[in-house]
Amino acid sequence: MQHPYQCIAAVGSTAQGGTNSHFLAACGHRLVLVDVNDSKIVSEWSSENATTNTAEAPENDDGDRPKKKQKTVPSVKPANIIKLTVSPDQNHAVAVTDDKYVRVFAVAGGKLEEISQRCMPKRPCAIQVLPDNATIICGDKFGDVYSLPLLPVSIEDAPTEAGAVDSAILEADEPAFKPSATNLTVHTQRNRKALEAQMQQKAFSAKKEPLKFDHKLLLGHVSMLTDVTFATRNVDGRERGYIITADRDEHIRVSRGPPQSHIIEGYCLGHTEFVSKVCLIPGTDLLVSGGGENELYVWDWPAFRLKRKIQLAGQVGNTADSNPEALQQADGETVFQAGSSKKDIAVSGLWIVPCPATNAGAKTALVVAIERSPMLLAIPINQLGLPRGQDVSIAKLDLGHAPLDLACIGNIAVVSLDIREEEQSRFQVVQLQEVKEQAVIRSVRDEVEKGLACLDSFATADASLNEKSLDDLLYTVENLRKRRGWGDSAKEGDDGQDGDAGVDDVAED
Amino acid sequence: MAGPAKKRQKREDNRQEGQMPQKKFYRQRAHANPFSDHDLTYPSCPAAMDWSQHFPAFTVAKAVSSTDALDNDHEHENIQQISQQVAVADIGCGFGGLLFALAPKMPKTLILGLEIRTSVTEFVQEKAKALRNQNGDSGLYQNVSCIRANTMKFLPNFFTKGQLEKIFLCFPDPHFKARKHKARIVSTTLASEYAYVMKPGGNVYTITDVEDLHLWMAEHFEAHPSFERVSDEELERDECVQTMRTETEEGKKVERNNGTKYVVVFRRLEDPPWP
Ligand SMILES: C[S@@+](CC[C@H](N)C(=O)[O-])C[C@H]1O[C@@H](n2cnc3c(N)ncnc32)[C@H](O)[C@@H]1O
Repeated sequence: MQHPYQCIAAVGSTAQGGTNSHFLAACGHRLVLVDVNDSKIVSEWSSENATTNTAEAPENDDGDRPKKKQKTVPSVKPANIIKLTVSPDQNHAVAVTDDKYVRVFAVAGGKLEEISQRCMPKRPCAIQVLPDNATIICGDKFGDVYSLPLLPVSIEDAPTEAGAVDSAILEADEPAFKPSATNLTVHTQRNRKALEAQMQQKAFSAKKEPLKFDHKLLLGHVSMLTDVTFATRNVDGRERGYIITADRDEHIRVSRGPPQSHIIEGYCLGHTEFVSKVCLIPGTDLLVSGGGENELYVWDWPAFRLKRKIQLAGQVGNTADSNPEALQQADGETVFQAGSSKKDIAVSGLWIVPCPATNAGAKTALVVAIERSPMLLAIPINQLGLPRGQDVSIAKLDLGHAPLDLACIGNIAVVSLDIREEEQSRFQVVQLQEVKEQAVIRSVRDEVEKGLACLDSFATADASLNEKSLDDLLYTVENLRKRRGWGDSAKEGDDGQDGDAGVDDVAED
Repeated sequence: MAGPAKKRQKREDNRQEGQMPQKKFYRQRAHANPFSDHDLTYPSCPAAMDWSQHFPAFTVAKAVSSTDALDNDHEHENIQQISQQVAVADIGCGFGGLLFALAPKMPKTLILGLEIRTSVTEFVQEKAKALRNQNGDSGLYQNVSCIRANTMKFLPNFFTKGQLEKIFLCFPDPHFKARKHKARIVSTTLASEYAYVMKPGGNVYTITDVEDLHLWMAEHFEAHPSFERVSDEELERDECVQTMRTETEEGKKVERNNGTKYVVVFRRLEDPPWP
C-alpha cells in the first residue's frame, strides 16, 4: 500500500513576476519539497528525525483523561502532518503534526529547513500566517485561538507590549494553583461535597507548565474549533482585520483582529449541524461555509446576514454515469431529484481556484469537496451572490477517488487523491474555465503534471500502513457530527465521569 | 433514586396544573458537564427563538414583517413576536430564587433564567406558571421564565449583540480542581461572550461563598478590556446586589451557615474605536 498525500501547498517564487516553482506535499509523517520545473524532490523532512524538544511538551495535557492517556504506550510511530500552510510572502511554510507541534520551515531557495517547533497545549486544527508575514494564528480543538510569532522568541526575549491588551489577560488563565477552598470558605453542603470528592482524588493536578515561548490567547469558544480564517476589509480608508472562527456547535464568530481580538463583532448563525470549513470570497464581502449539512451557506459576513444557501445533495452520489467533462446543468429541479440518497454529507474542502473566462479574463471559482466523495464541485464566484431562488450553476468533475487537498500552481489546480494502490499517481491536475457564466472543470494534461511526476515514485510501498489508520488520518470531518439523543462526548477534555460530576444534589432545605 | 419517568409521575400525582411545584420532585445530579453535547434544544439564531411561549402576556399581534436585520432569511416569519426583549439573564439560575424575587420588583422588564439541568428548569417554569395563576389580578410574574441552556456554548443563539442590561452569575459551580478550570462559567474568553450580549453600561453581577472563585471571577473580568469594576459604594446603593445576597437559594444556605458572601460587579464599557 502507498500513503496518499494528505496535505499539499504551492510555494510561489519570491522573485518579482516569477511563477510558482515549488510544491510541498505531506505524505504521512514526511514532507517533501518539489522543484516543479525540474520535476525533482529537492528536500525532504520527517517528524521521525525531527528533534522534538520534549522539555517543552507539557507532561499532562490537562483536559485529556489522564487514565486513558497512561494506557497508550509511548508511541514510536512518527507524528503525521495534519495541516500545512505557506506564508503570504512564500518564504515560510507552517505545518501541524498530530503530536500538537506547530513547525515552521524556511522554504525559500529550494530548501526545506525546520527552523522552529512549538508544542501547543491542545491539538491545533487550523493555522494561518497573517498578511504581516510575522504572525501565526492557530485555533485548537479546545476552542482557543492563539497567536504566535512566526519566528519564535523565547519568553525572556519577548518584548513587553504595552498596547497589546490581548497578551496579558488571557495568560492569567492558570494562576499558580493552591487548593482553593478550605472548609471555612465553603458553606453549602453541595460545595463541600464537591470539594471533598476532589480532595479524595490523590492530589490536585500539578500546576501546568506554562508555554515557554511567546504566545497570546486571542479568543476562545467553549467548543471544538474547526476552521479559522483572517479577513481584512477597508473601512473609511483604513484596513481592518478580523478573525473568523467556526466551531462544532454550528457557530461562525467574527471577532476583531489583534490587538482587539477580545471584541466579538457578531455571529453568522443559521447552521444546524457542525461547520467544518469557511472560505472568504476575494473581492467581495461574501463568506461561504459548509459542514454537516446538504447545503453551503453564503453570508454577507460584515453584516452577519445569510444571503442564500446552495444545495449540494443532488451532486453527490450518482457519479457513475456522468461524463467528467460534461457540464452539469444544476437547475434546482434536477438537483433535488437526483438527491435521492438520504446519506449525510460533510464538506471537507473549500478552495478558491482561478477560473478564466473566455471573454473577461481572470476570474475565480469556489471548489468544493465532500468527504469521501470521489468528485469536486465548482461554482463561479459571481454565482454565489445570486439572490435566493435563482439557481446556481454547479459544475462537477468525477475523479474516481476522493480528493484530499488542492493547491494551485498558476491557473492549474493540483488535487491530491486518496489512492492507496501502489504504482498509481496520487495526483490529478485539473483546470477550470468559465463558459457562459458557468464553470467547466476538467482534467488536463499539463506541464505541472510532469513536474510532479517525481512524487509518484516517492514513498511507494509501506507495509506498515493499514486502511483503518489511513481512514482515521484522512477522514475526520464526519466525526464532528453530534449523535443526537445520546450523551456523547466528542469534545476533548470532556470528563463527565470523574471528579465532581457524580455529586448528587442533596435535599438541604 | 427514582428514574426521570417515575419522578415525573410523582410530580403529576402531587400537583394539579398551575399549582406550586415541590422542589423535592425536581432534584437532579448537581453537576452537568458543560462540554458534552447533551440533548439540548436551542434556536439556530436569536430570530428563530419563539419567546411568546415563555412570555405569552407580551405577545403582539402578528407583526407586519420582521424588521430584524438579521432575519432577512424570511425563514422565521411565522414566529410569534413579543413586544420587548429579555433584558435580564440569571445564568445557572438553579431553582430560581433570585428570578422570583426580581420579577415583581421590575414588572416591566423581561427576566430569564438559564439552567443546564432539565428538571430544575422545569421546576422554575412550573413555579412561574403557578405564580402567574396566583397573581392573575396584579399580572405579576408574567415577566419571568426559564429555559434549559448550556450558556457556556449557546448564549449567542438566544441573545443578540448588546441585548442584555443585567447578567447574574450567582454561586456558580466552583470546579475546584485546576484541571476543571476550563469548566468555570467565567474565563477571559467567555467574558468576551458576556460582553457581546451586553449593552454598554449594563452590569454583570457575581456572588459566591468560595473565596478562590471570587478572586478568579474578579481577576478575569478585571483583566478584560470590555469591563470595569463597579465601586463598593455603588454596590451598596444597588438594590439588585441586596436581592442577590438574600434571595438566591445558595445565598440563603450560606446565610444559615454564617458564611461570607463575596460580591463583585462589572460594568460593560463601550467598545473602543478600531485601531
Ligand atoms: C450552585 S448552583 C446556583 C444556583 C442559583 N444561582 C443560586 O444562587 O441559588 C449553579 C447552577 O448553575 C447551573 N449551571 C452550571 N453550568 C451551567 C451552564 N453551562 N449553563 C447553564 N447552567 C449551568 C447548575 O446546573 C446549577 O444549577
